[in-house]
Amino acid sequence: MIYLQLIFEFLKIGLFSFGGGYATIPFLYHLTITKDWFTSQQLSDMVALSSITPGPVGVNVATFAGVKTAGILGAIFSTTSVILPSLVICIILSKLLEKFRYNRYVQSVISVLKPVSCGLLAAVGISLFIDNLNLLGLILFGVFIFLTIKEKREPIFYLAISAFVGMVAGFFNLMG
Amino acid sequence: MDKNIYNIFKLFLKVGMLLLGGGYVILPLLQSELVEKRAWIDENELYDFYALSQSVPGIIAANVSIFTGYKLRKIPGAISAIVGITLPAFVSIVILAQIMGYIIKFRFIESMFWGIGIGVLTLIFLAVKEMWARSVVNRRTSVLFFAAFILSAFFKISPAIIIIISIIIGILMARFLPEKKEDKVGQ
Repeated sequence: MIYLQLIFEFLKIGLFSFGGGYATIPFLYHLTITKDWFTSQQLSDMVALSSITPGPVGVNVATFAGVKTAGILGAIFSTTSVILPSLVICIILSKLLEKFRYNRYVQSVISVLKPVSCGLLAAVGISLFIDNLNLLGLILFGVFIFLTIKEKREPIFYLAISAFVGMVAGFFNLMG
Repeated sequence: MDKNIYNIFKLFLKVGMLLLGGGYVILPLLQSELVEKRAWIDENELYDFYALSQSVPGIIAANVSIFTGYKLRKIPGAISAIVGITLPAFVSIVILAQIMGYIIKFRFIESMFWGIGIGVLTLIFLAVKEMWARSVVNRRTSVLFFAAFILSAFFKISPAIIIIISIIIGILMARFLPEKKEDKVGQ
């Protein structure tokens, strides 16, 4: 039953992703390996689209994955599921706010989860890098990395330039 | 403006529509709507909610909305805030997904998305860099970073399993290691 699978997978994502919208990406990437719901290329498209549509990236990607897999009903289930753990946990925490924040165990768990989430995202970066890159991509990526050293720009800057380069490359058949 | 659940919903709906380019934009938006225009909560509270939102699971923007909504009107407030912030994202993606099927058939669109993939890779790189700066601060945290990286990238271990193991490690560390100042999570 596809709906139950969507609910299960996205509850898991809502419950275990720490550190912001991009923290959901490792989970979604893992789904491209274990399920045939969407490919890693489609996931990358979803991430790009979610930065030009309103809303948190995590919600966008959950909705997209749901609608792609099982239509609008699927989207309702996946979006609700990714939010539900947050809703329950944050409401409970609001009730015992101070106690939670300065608890020694909580502090220790957070100090472990932060670098781990970072490592998980880096792993996705490397996997996408290996999956999708050719010579032109490598050059473009190199230029972008060089640009990020100088100053931080809006996400749309990189997406617009890369979209344009991709389109021109497709037009002249430059892709390997 | 009254702090009833309809107004809370409307406010978060507006913020949800303006939330472009990633969830972290929510902080300045809420600051302008909640703190400056309406004085429903004060600035320190908002920053507290933001910091706290990063230390619980889930999407940060969603967590901030829930904390703020709860503060304003308990559970009904939390629910109207989260529905408001999510709805614009949901509607726009559902519509976009319907159109996608038609436009992706053109070859130049396909190569455009290939190009965008490089842009996304750059965004992931930037996110990693930022998270690294905030979280990898000593030898212990670098070991954790590389352990998670290797298990995920080369052994394809499920991220959920890695997170569960990390939580257990965190609990064991608090139980058996002497407390060190540098391990404190500063805000």
